Amino acid sequence: MTSRRIGVYICHCGGNISDYVDVPAVVGAVRDEPDVVVVRDAMFTCSDLTQQEIFSDIVEHRLDGLVVASCSPKLHTFTFREMARRAGLNPYEYTQVNIREQCSWAHTDDPQGATRKAISLVRAGIAGTRGTRPLEPTVVETTQRVLVVGGGLTGMRAAIGLADLGLAVVLVEKTATLGGRVGGMGPMFPHGRVGADLVARLRDDIGRRPAVTVLTGAELVAKSGTYGNYHVVVAVGGERRELAVGQVVVATGFADYEPHIGELGYGMPGVLTLPELVSRLDSSHGPLLHDGRRVGSIAYLYCVGSRNEEHSHCSKYCCSATVHTALRITERNPGARQYHVYRDMRTYGRNEEMLTQSRRRGSLYLKFADDDPPEVAREHGRLEVTVRDLLSAGEEIRLPVDLVVLVTGMVARQNRELVDVLKLPVGRDGFFNEIHPKLRPVETVVDGVTICGTCQGPKTSAESVASGLAAVTHVGAMLKRGVAELDPQVASVNPEACNGCAVCVEACPFGAISMVGAPRPAGGGHRVTPAEAGSGEASPGGLVAAVAATGCKGCGACAPVCPTGAIDLAGYTDAQVTAIIDALAMDLPGPEGRTGDVVGPGGARLRVAAEAPAEVVR
Amino acid sequence: MRYDALVVGSGIGGMESALQLGEMGYKVLVVEKGPSIGGKMILLSKVFPTLDCASCISTPKMGATAHHRNVTVLTGAEVAGLAREADGGFHAKVHVATRFVDPERCTGCHQCEVACTVSVPDQFNGELVARHAAYIPFPQAVPQKALIERAGTSPCTFACPAGIKAHGYVSLVRAGLYGEAFDLVAETTPLVGTLGRACYAPCESQCTRGALEGPVPLRRIKRFVADRSRAAGGRPAAPPERNAKAVAVVGSGPAGLTVAWLLARRGYGVKMFEAAPCPGGALRMGIPSYRLPVEVVEADVANLTAIGVEIECNARVDDLAQLQGQGFDAVVVATGAPVAARLGVEGEDTLEGVIGALDFLADIKLGRATELSGRVVAVVGGGNVAIDAARSALRLGAAEVHLVCLEGRDEMPAHEFEVAEACAEGVQLHDRWGVAGLEGGSRVEALELKTCLSVFDPDGRFNPRFDVGGHDEVVCDTVIVAIGARPDTATFPSLAPGGARALVADSATAKTPVRGVFAVGDAVSGPSTIAKAVGAAARAAAMVDDWLQGRRLEAPVAPLAVVERADVLSRQAGYAQRPPVAAGLRLGPAPSNFAELEAPLSEEEARSAAGACLDCGVCSECHECLAACPADAIDFAMRDSDVEVDVGTVVVSTGYHLFPAELKPQYGYGRYKNVVTGEQMERLLAPTRPFNTVLRPGDGRVPERVAYVMCTGSRDETVGNPLCSKFCCMYSLKQNQLIMGALPLADVTVHYIDIRAAGKGYDEFFEQAKAMGTNFVKGRVARVSELANGNLVLRYEDIDNAGRIVEAEYDMVVLAVGVQPNADFARLFEHGELALTDHGYIEEVDEDLSPGATSLAGVFVAGAASGPRDIPESILHAGAAVAQAAAYLESAGARRAAEVGA
Repeated sequence: MTSRRIGVYICHCGGNISDYVDVPAVVGAVRDEPDVVVVRDAMFTCSDLTQQEIFSDIVEHRLDGLVVASCSPKLHTFTFREMARRAGLNPYEYTQVNIREQCSWAHTDDPQGATRKAISLVRAGIAGTRGTRPLEPTVVETTQRVLVVGGGLTGMRAAIGLADLGLAVVLVEKTATLGGRVGGMGPMFPHGRVGADLVARLRDDIGRRPAVTVLTGAELVAKSGTYGNYHVVVAVGGERRELAVGQVVVATGFADYEPHIGELGYGMPGVLTLPELVSRLDSSHGPLLHDGRRVGSIAYLYCVGSRNEEHSHCSKYCCSATVHTALRITERNPGARQYHVYRDMRTYGRNEEMLTQSRRRGSLYLKFADDDPPEVAREHGRLEVTVRDLLSAGEEIRLPVDLVVLVTGMVARQNRELVDVLKLPVGRDGFFNEIHPKLRPVETVVDGVTICGTCQGPKTSAESVASGLAAVTHVGAMLKRGVAELDPQVASVNPEACNGCAVCVEACPFGAISMVGAPRPAGGGHRVTPAEAGSGEASPGGLVAAVAATGCKGCGACAPVCPTGAIDLAGYTDAQVTAIIDALAMDLPGPEGRTGDVVGPGGARLRVAAEAPAEVVR
Repeated sequence: MRYDALVVGSGIGGMESALQLGEMGYKVLVVEKGPSIGGKMILLSKVFPTLDCASCISTPKMGATAHHRNVTVLTGAEVAGLAREADGGFHAKVHVATRFVDPERCTGCHQCEVACTVSVPDQFNGELVARHAAYIPFPQAVPQKALIERAGTSPCTFACPAGIKAHGYVSLVRAGLYGEAFDLVAETTPLVGTLGRACYAPCESQCTRGALEGPVPLRRIKRFVADRSRAAGGRPAAPPERNAKAVAVVGSGPAGLTVAWLLARRGYGVKMFEAAPCPGGALRMGIPSYRLPVEVVEADVANLTAIGVEIECNARVDDLAQLQGQGFDAVVVATGAPVAARLGVEGEDTLEGVIGALDFLADIKLGRATELSGRVVAVVGGGNVAIDAARSALRLGAAEVHLVCLEGRDEMPAHEFEVAEACAEGVQLHDRWGVAGLEGGSRVEALELKTCLSVFDPDGRFNPRFDVGGHDEVVCDTVIVAIGARPDTATFPSLAPGGARALVADSATAKTPVRGVFAVGDAVSGPSTIAKAVGAAARAAAMVDDWLQGRRLEAPVAPLAVVERADVLSRQAGYAQRPPVAAGLRLGPAPSNFAELEAPLSEEEARSAAGACLDCGVCSECHECLAACPADAIDFAMRDSDVEVDVGTVVVSTGYHLFPAELKPQYGYGRYKNVVTGEQMERLLAPTRPFNTVLRPGDGRVPERVAYVMCTGSRDETVGNPLCSKFCCMYSLKQNQLIMGALPLADVTVHYIDIRAAGKGYDEFFEQAKAMGTNFVKGRVARVSELANGNLVLRYEDIDNAGRIVEAEYDMVVLAVGVQPNADFARLFEHGELALTDHGYIEEVDEDLSPGATSLAGVFVAGAASGPRDIPESILHAGAAVAQAAAYLESAGARRAAEVGA
């Protein structure tokens, strides 16, 4: 192997690492590694200052390899690849070593051990970096059409937003009409606008946009293809329509929690859920009636089916929706007594104003302890709620009422087929999971699939629309460039070593390997049209395996099954992995503290540098 | 410049907006008011509910924003106005505050920060610790470039006629850098010791501290600096690198010495010509030694000779052409105002015992003083020279000294304190009298007086009126005339054409009518003060230098506007009074010698006095950073600039303000040191935390019991905010867990109304806090009071336990402060303002279907500027704003295309 010029940077992460790992000792331990020309530590390697410093090191020391030992590669691989690219170093010559999640945070009880482990991990990273080579991403043109799954408020608004960016849209709705839950609703908080009117306006807006194709009574049944160029199959009325799309937006909404019969009196006459109450209000005029009589008293029991063992989540919208409903009832049934039996009133933000208003208009609030829920009984034909009210010194209060409203929350909609087709990640609460709940709330780990609205978690309608438009932005940012760059860290077959056994073809979960007659290059920075971007063309009578660069995800499933070792994964070649293992195996037994002679493999005495390195950056 | 989109604010909403628009291919300008992008998020500890390290997940966004090929970032910039253009876009004016550091050169090495002598509360650390006036905002700041905080010119510095950085030397003395303080004054003048004694210190009269217990004694601090330098044998000045040019300076008073000094420091060969037997002019020959000892002047003059200035004494120059012929490339005339004014009465020249004050004072300084033992002396004049003469006469043994002046005591040109000191020493004052005549045979026997009705006419001109009937006389045997002086115009008639009463020189360039000859100081202005002469000389030196180097003669950059003292005092809720430094004046009747009257400041006094400085201008202009910067990046002459851009759409992402906790006085924030805000606790927990652990600010103790007071400033109509701030519950739950992680033995109690954990994974996070041991107590806190040991007693309603009123003691209290709107931006639109909600947030006119759309087409709001939002909600909201902003740009583009097509 030719000699390399590698720069190594060890991050303190402002104490996240250096509280447990002796960073100067790590610097000292690796500074004399072969091929390493510069080693530094930094308070925050990801900070602009240190990036500038690495940048100038790359230029000044003519680095051809880069190792940053910091946090998870999930966080900063792209940060440093991008920095390397700006400095003129191929991004794939960069290796991120995780000494935070996999070291300092995991070994807070053993700083010395953590330091030893960090040294090993950095050495392994250096070993892997010795075997890197420059790689260029494959650039593919993308399909300027988006599939939106779900024709509720969020999906409709997203479809309009996408069309307004100049993209073609196919909006697929399972039921016969667009509109979803909001389409059937009357006045909604916080602005009191009628749900059906909102949906009608969106339907008109869609009608004015020829770029949007609406398929109702339709379901997505299959998806294949590669990033930016997918083939989807939509079943519409017994017919299968095949479409090419660049991205898929999922907006399939939520389901209401259905109380069990007997749960808080559910099933008794006069006990109904919030959506049932709202629906009665929306479909009638004048005073709310029950059994033909004007309703004079209502008890709302909050958090039914939320914040419990079965559904640990808070459904977020129900407190505000209930208070809003109570205000409507105050208008429709003046003088009605309304009791809110709650745990925490979560009328966040400006919805707090509705809470204040409802109290001023006579709603009474009673708080029950988490472990002491209210009880509902029906005696002498009358409903009675019993609650131990913390706001009245824990007194047991009996509320005889005409109606008991169970404030049921949102639960995840059962949608197994769609989950299977899109391989959607489902969280413990049953909602679809985003990549990162904080910073990347609409992206999923599945390439090309974006989620929005309540399929991701409970939201109000305005929040759902905002997330739908955020999905539009994410999709627009990806597709409007016209091209996508595919990760060049893909597998390739050495045709001379391939014996044509085709075991790899079976092993590939993405159908990216086929048997061909002539060797095909993999990767290589050339521009691929959508037509080419499919799977490799099989050649009849072909004898060797070939990997379609655009189909390969770099998962590595093929390489180990190859009996002849003909497959290598760029960025993780056999030679690199072997070198990494060798480096990790060269463990440092038992040096206490950061200095002194230690015994290496075969009894070799290694010297760990005692003094702080000269090039320490803080 | 044209950009597709203007994004105002660079918090998480602004960065997300800019990045997404940039990714879509639009050119984006981000305008950020602060010195770094990143907003509030980068300063957080971790984020809920994932407990990711906030800075670790913010820095990639910051880096990506700063380096995105389609995104341009202006920090320190504010939008100053927006006007709608015909194409639906906007014309924006952006005001960019200077950093006083060239970002191209700055390497972020922190050397300026280390050298800076001013400390101010660090706004990026919740003001829990100090930072320097020269600083890099925080370790992850983007750009990682220094800036210098300058609120303006400090009043003391602004007041100094000499242009000395008064605030600068005070802050250097405070830092113990006495030599550097000397050098800073010496950047302007060599007369450090002289000014430390004989300056009338207009700086002190402007000192903001004067509104408290009294001004910082700036002059005496300067004297301390000079004395210390002299005691150490003077600062060995590095001899400057000589250039080939030579300058002659005629006269060695304060102006001449200053010009010579500054030019010599710039490498010129300088030779001074002095008519008197020793250099120093009025300093050496005029001001009595009890005010300004001879050795002090000699030490100041030695500064010049140390760097090679040649001084020839007893060398009267009367032919400038001859001087120019001797090879001097420029001549500076600084001959002062040596010609005494005359009484114009009979006997003035003939009677024995009538002497001029200037001659009298000069004789004393040259050791040939007249013995006045037993004599009765009348001094005529009301200025400082008259006072000097009168007090000197006392010291020479005069039996009586009478001071006769036209003015009333309150209008005498002499400083009030000098008159008072003279009277304290025994000088008898006869004010409002004019001299009518002198009596006597060979020697003067009396001074005849006439009543002076007024000195100045209604136009303020000197034009005394006398009462013909009012007579008196002072019996005396010596009269000293001290009624003014004027420049010598006779020696150089070419410099005073047309019978001018002073030498004529351009006020900006100091050029005289004669090419190559400059004039400066009292010779041009008439008698003034040392400081004014020094100031004029310093400006003239720069002009002479420019002229000799063939550069354009340009006025120096004007100083920043003076800082308003009221603004300085309002920076802090209150100020502790400090004991003023003793005046140290040794005054007594019948002084018998010329020993210096004023005692020096001890080192302790000097540093303590300097420590009282309020750092009005923030940066003191001590110039330590200039010397420290290895990249030569610092430039105090940089000024703010304005940028005008055209943009297609605007995304407003100006975020929110935190509720100022001092508005809930019952919780004691600002008064009780161990009551902190959620923001401050965030900093105590952050990876870049100031103390490396959680401790209470009052005494640095690690708290064992921490209480949270929820809804501080939210859900509270008494402070005008009935709304819920949405994320305080969650950040408090996060902090609870982090505190318990950092301090495993600590008890954490949350006093709440409702815990609003509404969001994905949020209620689970609440359960996690409960499981870790946070105590939750429902009920509002009525008040917080402080115990002598700094502990805090909370009085609250314990609703869970029958609503009892309970008092509980804690070590530390955290106020979960909520949000307040930041709608400053809304006013900037020249045609049609942005509509606001009742509560002052930017209104979303169609929140149900178009969240982020505002009342103005093409203007969108992203994040908490339109209402409380946490990070993921801000990101989603930014996404919504961007989708519509992009649609707006697309439709505008389509319209333009259609117009072009038509």
